[in-house]
Amino acid sequence: MNIFISGATGFIGRALSLTLAEQGHTIHALSRRNNHPLLPVHPNIRVFLGDISSKNSLVAAMQGCEQAYHTAALAKMWTKNKNEFHEVNVAGTRNILEAANEAGVGKIVHTSSCGVIGPTLKYPMTEEDPRITGFPIHYERTKYLAELEVREFVKKGMNVVIASPSRVYGKGPITDSNTVGKIVTAYLRGKWRVNPANGRQVSNYAYLDDVVQGHIAAMQHGIAGHRYILGGEDVSFNAFFDTVRQLSGVHHRLINVPQPAIKWYSWIEWLKTSITGQPPFFLPEFADRLKYDQKYSSQKAIDQLGYRITPFPEGMQQMIQYYLQQKN
Amino acid sequence: MHTSAAIITGASEGLGKFMAIEMASRGYHLVLVALPGTGLPQLAQFLIKNFSICAHYFEMDLTEVDNCVALFQSLRTQHIQADILINNAGIGNNDWFDDKCICFYAKQITLNVMAPVVLTRLFIDHPCHAKQRYILNVGSLGGIFVVPKKGVYGATKSFIRHFTKSLQIELRNTNISISLLSPGGINTKPELLVLHDSLKGISRVTVLEPEVVAKKAIDGMFKGKKEIIPGIFNRIFVWLKGLLPNIIQEMIIHRNMKNVL
Repeated sequence: MNIFISGATGFIGRALSLTLAEQGHTIHALSRRNNHPLLPVHPNIRVFLGDISSKNSLVAAMQGCEQAYHTAALAKMWTKNKNEFHEVNVAGTRNILEAANEAGVGKIVHTSSCGVIGPTLKYPMTEEDPRITGFPIHYERTKYLAELEVREFVKKGMNVVIASPSRVYGKGPITDSNTVGKIVTAYLRGKWRVNPANGRQVSNYAYLDDVVQGHIAAMQHGIAGHRYILGGEDVSFNAFFDTVRQLSGVHHRLINVPQPAIKWYSWIEWLKTSITGQPPFFLPEFADRLKYDQKYSSQKAIDQLGYRITPFPEGMQQMIQYYLQQKN
Repeated sequence: MHTSAAIITGASEGLGKFMAIEMASRGYHLVLVALPGTGLPQLAQFLIKNFSICAHYFEMDLTEVDNCVALFQSLRTQHIQADILINNAGIGNNDWFDDKCICFYAKQITLNVMAPVVLTRLFIDHPCHAKQRYILNVGSLGGIFVVPKKGVYGATKSFIRHFTKSLQIELRNTNISISLLSPGGINTKPELLVLHDSLKGISRVTVLEPEVVAKKAIDGMFKGKKEIIPGIFNRIFVWLKGLLPNIIQEMIIHRNMKNVL
């Protein structure tokens, strides 16, 4: 089967492309350039030059495809041009869906994010729970607006399913969106010294291989217009670093930094960025998020898609091994 | 745990939802009111689960006086006391006057003006043993500043402001405290998220997140504040309005109009 994938150089899209190619499908991988260092290489992967901001290039790349995965997004904390978030994540999604409609693609999986569902009060959030904060984070706001675009196309009769991974970690290149990879490799090098919010904040960590399988299952069994959380275990920063320490044998002392201190520091970063235009290390809206847990339940995906969760220590072991091998 | 409940209208989305979360987080029982099909049962369920409170919900259209009466009637028959009323439901818009139809304006005026008046009247008569009762009426900076494209909306909020201030005098020596909330832009609905994204400079900093506004509003209500204006920049603008002569205010509005047109 011919399958279109946007964001094939991204953390999820790359792994998804390789998995589907290995299964014997022909992958139409969208890329902005031919020589992208992270382009997945496989005999079954055909690279199509194009951009999600240009609908014509998308229609061309989707010709003959029965399925499309839209994993491309601007998943950064910050960009110089704020409109870029809207252009890539919202207008880009609209272009993908319009192009898929024109090219006659049968089913689409749109990669969203648990960031759209937002932070947690007490119990892990489900797909149907109401959001408890606004959308101060550009990425989350534009991914929410992208989901609204998807809903509009579903209303018009298109078969689009929403996959919502939580914080994804696993064996893959260190990219802007691969925050777990950045933290773990920095820790292993002794460059990560901070235990944020005294280590008590709990987040949900989804193993990349699970997320890839979840995408494929969403394509097979997902119901149009439905959203499926593809998560993993809820883990606190303390437990996170304990696991990394145990598995790697690398022991670095971390400094507990309380949330208010991080908030103050983030304002300094914000000011620095506002004046110099240089990328910030951290921003106030992200410091605020440390006040909340981000726990998610993947029960719907487990029940309806047969989604499976790799235990956190097992996934982390694979990831650490992968990075240690890369280093050597 | 409190034995009586807080009524919140327009509770399913926007600021109302965030005030419901804020009140629930403080352990108050809730009576949530919103239109059918807006996710109200899910919100009530979510708040019951996470905060171990009671949350009753009524899916109804408050532009019908009969529904307002029926709401308090059912509270009476279910023996639900209400010590707090938050008149939040309202319809906002940002359109040239002749771009909207007459039925829109009729509905907007009915919901923004008639419903709070009727509900306030019913609330005052509703039996309640609480020592202190609170009313929070949601106005807007649009009820203070005259701007284009918000003529009818601003006028309804100006009505709420006048109404609330008058009742503050009337209810001075009673156990009912009535506050006015006058927020600026809030990042709530999708179209507002897009609109606010396009703002620059000083207009951008006046826009606040809904959970921030909700917290300030509830804090202010319990303190018995007469008018709550969230956001330092918004307070400065209101203060400046009192200082600047009308002619200069008009100049500023006309200058900004050029950017809009």
